[in-house]
Amino acid sequence: METIGADIVIQILREEGVDVIFGYPGANTLPIHDRLINSQVRHYLMRHEQAAAHAADGYARATGKVGVCIATSGPGATNLVTGIATAFMDSTPMVALTAQVSTSLLGHDAFQETDIIGITLPITKHSYQVHDVNNLAVTLRQAFELAKTGRPGPVLVDLPRDILSSKCQPAEKQAATAPKINNKAVEDHEQLEKIAKTLNQSERPILIIGGGVKLSNAFRLIRELIEKAKIPFVTTMMGIGSVDSVNGYNLGLIGTHGNELANLMVHQCDFILAIGTRFSDRSTALIEEFAPLAKIAQIDIDPTSIGKSIKINLPYVGDIRDALTALLPLVDEKEKSEWLQRIQAEREAIDDKVADTGCGQAGDFIRMVQEAMPVETTVTADVGLNQIWTVRTWQARSPRSLITSGGMGTMGFSLPAAIGAKVGTPERAVVAITGDGGFYMNIQELATISYYNLPIKIVVINNGHLGMIRQIQDLFYNARFTTIDLGSKVDFVTVARGFGIPGSRVVVDKDPTAGIEAMVKADGPYLLEAVVDPENYVYPIIPPGCSNIEMMYDRLD
Amino acid sequence: MLRKVREQEQTISILVNNQPGVLSRVGGVFGRHGYNIKSLCVAETTNPDVSRITLTSESDPDFTEKIKKQLDKLVDIIDVSDVSGQSYIQRELMLIGVTVKEGVYSEILRAIELFGCRIVTMTPDYFILELTGQPDETAAFLKFFQSFGVEEINRTGSIAIERTKPKRKI
Repeated sequence: METIGADIVIQILREEGVDVIFGYPGANTLPIHDRLINSQVRHYLMRHEQAAAHAADGYARATGKVGVCIATSGPGATNLVTGIATAFMDSTPMVALTAQVSTSLLGHDAFQETDIIGITLPITKHSYQVHDVNNLAVTLRQAFELAKTGRPGPVLVDLPRDILSSKCQPAEKQAATAPKINNKAVEDHEQLEKIAKTLNQSERPILIIGGGVKLSNAFRLIRELIEKAKIPFVTTMMGIGSVDSVNGYNLGLIGTHGNELANLMVHQCDFILAIGTRFSDRSTALIEEFAPLAKIAQIDIDPTSIGKSIKINLPYVGDIRDALTALLPLVDEKEKSEWLQRIQAEREAIDDKVADTGCGQAGDFIRMVQEAMPVETTVTADVGLNQIWTVRTWQARSPRSLITSGGMGTMGFSLPAAIGAKVGTPERAVVAITGDGGFYMNIQELATISYYNLPIKIVVINNGHLGMIRQIQDLFYNARFTTIDLGSKVDFVTVARGFGIPGSRVVVDKDPTAGIEAMVKADGPYLLEAVVDPENYVYPIIPPGCSNIEMMYDRLD
Repeated sequence: MLRKVREQEQTISILVNNQPGVLSRVGGVFGRHGYNIKSLCVAETTNPDVSRITLTSESDPDFTEKIKKQLDKLVDIIDVSDVSGQSYIQRELMLIGVTVKEGVYSEILRAIELFGCRIVTMTPDYFILELTGQPDETAAFLKFFQSFGVEEINRTGSIAIERTKPKRKI
């Protein structure tokens, strides 16, 4: 067979170390799907393109590699949009390949034609449309380079049908000539010295760990920093797991759904070293009242993340790994014992005041699930109450072990992301936690899980409602409940069985042990439906427009 | 107009890869942040692979933070410079169509001479005038002739060039 454009695509995928892609075929992808036969790239056929994008995203988050998804032109491409936006908001390295109508048909409103480049302009790091098969290799290489360097993100490559079928020469093996990335990283050692000095001289320092630590693979360094400087730390949702959650210096999750200790101590600290976080509104709550006593130093690779929402006293633009490597020797090994004692006292006071983690029986249930699973388990969480219960309760013991849609908050993310995680790290057990609302959104992926016999533990926490919205309506809209009732007629266990997946139902406050055990013991995929009281909310919660110490613990009756 | 109009403005010069779609990406950055572009000029430079976009945008104290930094992130951006200041020579080209009523003929002709603008076409009741000048000159020119009745305007907005020889050919 002669070499055609589609072969170049597969050749470059292999050169980039891609052995798995998630996708869905269509008329215009056929040259690629045809040439995938007997290639070394495994293609997972999902049941919806959105799920293909989420699976590529979950794969990337679990492995640290670039996730790849493929869809056909028109509706296939538009179905990827939510998945691309999800990856964009959380800076996941991803390459989305979309087939396109032939170049001669562009702009003619041809069958299944859409301007996917135009549609995804604001939600991709960059995008390309290839018009010459001789540019195909260099374009794809650039796409991969862009996806994983600097601040990672999704890159879309639009591939017209005639380019894919064009005869050509195999691409010469060569490194990517990376496009000019205006990375204004300034290796400013003096600034690092100032940061170190301020840290050393501070009395009440706190480290904020964001998603950037994971993207930079700086896990060991951040742990060394914590241990050397004996500095307490908090994480954003994206930073969970960068350091073992059970580490003694971990104060928890900050922000609108964070725990009390984390928010309180950030409010009282005099120095914040923020690493790989963009100070999103979820983390800071009311920005004007965030950390009023603190000088703030921020290390991030993206200059637009620094000073965007809050004034930064000591900014540093650069790769986190390089920065931490240079910073470590400058940091004193002195313990700020007064501050640590104060934190401990506060921790004990809170433990006395609040009986549980604020997640009610749902939280206890998740803890039971984690205890029953092996330590080397990856969990994916969806969005809503189930997400907050999971991030507040599940102890992430290793990096990349807790995966959830933070920036975009995309419901329906958990199940397909779990597919990506299981495919990417097959040696790890994978638990997909989701609420009933989010479960419906990509429920068709039960077929994918069943077809490939992926032994994913699917936990559907069913409260019959859109729980987070219910809590918000209950607390802030005078309990005027509307458009949140999902009903109780649907039997998820029967649905799963229909998809070829065994399962069972438990009621969370009636000893779910047996159900959990059955799930853990199952060889293949298993669905555990866990029925939970709709009034099981999550606390504390910060009301809209409030600072992160104005935490609510209950209804304002 | 239902939106808040910013008073300040800033003129910036952006060097970009000369490819279809780049203008769209640049425009998108402004639109997304709600900064209205007041004028825009784009053309190839000494290097046919590089184009220069010169635009004047609404501005405010956050402009650099929001717009310049965001533009720097775009893959097709090569450089972003502020050309509002003294180290740049700024010019704008303006074409206006002015109604000439009875009795004002000589006044208009004298103004044309004083402004140093060119008469492109002339009929008994309608002149097309052309002026090239610094932004404040063209603004004054327009304001003056508006008192007579300007039927149509086309203006390029500012373009700018460094006073001194650049380090690299642009």
